[in-house]
Amino acid sequence: MTTLTDRYVWAVVRTAPEKQRPELEQEVRGLVADAIDARLEAGSPTAERDALVELGDPLALAARYADRPLTLIGPAYYLLWLRLLKLLLAIVVPLAVVGIGIGQFVAGASIGAIIGSMIGGAIQVTVNLGFWTTVAFVIMDRSTRGAPIVTWSPDQLPEVPSPTQHSALGQLIASVAFLTLFLVALVWQQFNPYLTGSGEVLPVLNQDLWTFWIPWFIALIVAEIGFAFAIYFRGWSYPLAGVNVLLNLAFAVPAVWLWVTGGLLNPEFVDAVAQHTDENFAEAWHITSIVVVVSLVVIATWDVIDGFYNAYRVRHPRLSATS
Amino acid sequence: MDEDELITGHLQELRRGTVVLACLLRLRTPDYGYALLEALDTLGFSVDANTLYPLLRRLEKQGLLTSEWNTDESRPRKFYSTSPEGEQMASALTDDWGRIDDSLRRLIRGEDS
Repeated sequence: MTTLTDRYVWAVVRTAPEKQRPELEQEVRGLVADAIDARLEAGSPTAERDALVELGDPLALAARYADRPLTLIGPAYYLLWLRLLKLLLAIVVPLAVVGIGIGQFVAGASIGAIIGSMIGGAIQVTVNLGFWTTVAFVIMDRSTRGAPIVTWSPDQLPEVPSPTQHSALGQLIASVAFLTLFLVALVWQQFNPYLTGSGEVLPVLNQDLWTFWIPWFIALIVAEIGFAFAIYFRGWSYPLAGVNVLLNLAFAVPAVWLWVTGGLLNPEFVDAVAQHTDENFAEAWHITSIVVVVSLVVIATWDVIDGFYNAYRVRHPRLSATS
Repeated sequence: MDEDELITGHLQELRRGTVVLACLLRLRTPDYGYALLEALDTLGFSVDANTLYPLLRRLEKQGLLTSEWNTDESRPRKFYSTSPEGEQMASALTDDWGRIDDSLRRLIRGEDS
């Protein structure tokens, strides 16, 4: 029968190189025996157990004997690992998810299947990125024995993010310019429309939309311009981020719905375009549709997230004073 | 964390760096691991068994200690003793200890330099 001591000694020497084992075994056995003896002299009934508790986890002892690190990624690599992982996740996961979504859409999957495969893909990509990045760093940490390969320098310091004021005017100008352009385009397409080869004029958008949807979008654009000014003068806040959600929904939902149901564009205009392109028009059109829908959804989602992120930054300023 | 825990933590931190020097000085007289552990404990160097034993091995690998198996008693024991290189190291470390002591005393007296 093996004693606790035998099991402890085995657990320590098990991971040591073969030729060091006999000597290490003798040493550890001696240490345990001395510790037990001291406790027996003191009259302890649980001498062996107490002695082993004092020596602690045998694997930790073995690692210290072999000078092996007791961390997965040491301090020299931890921050590099964290930075790289965050960067990779922020770039690769959204790209992969959008890519999967487009792929499934092109393949003609149902909405449920598309969302399902996007969620599944996001989880898979995240887990894989996390796992392989970590494995690479563990190997790097072990092979360099914890010596850093990249040393930090002040050039790597990130800019202090300003709450809003820094580029607020630039953003206002950009927003208003874009929205005005959009407004002009909406009206312009009606009165100065697309020219066919035969000199016939065709509006781009469906004429029927003038009864409700085009005025709706024009009103929305005006509201967006007002919103841009509100952001400029009042700065981002959670209520304004909420308004931003409503504005985005009011735009993206009808736009996607009109596009998908085919009610957005003037059918004659589509036919005219089809005549000017080759016979692959149907397929090209299908893919264009998908790209348009995905873009609308992605842009709206991004804008909503950005709004809340800005509101958060205003609430939690990074630095109280910057020179 | 209460006051006692805080002071214990800082005292341990203060003594941690002196364990090597204490070992080198104490092992001028050859001794085995467990006896050294108890001696250090009595002197107030609270070092864990699973830290001390690997440390002894490392110091031996660095040539600061030598070891010998003593088979006179009922059980063979590995006796460590300070090597000549260890003596040199001990005197270098002792000198530095003196300088630290000196600097701290100046600070205690409130001198700037």
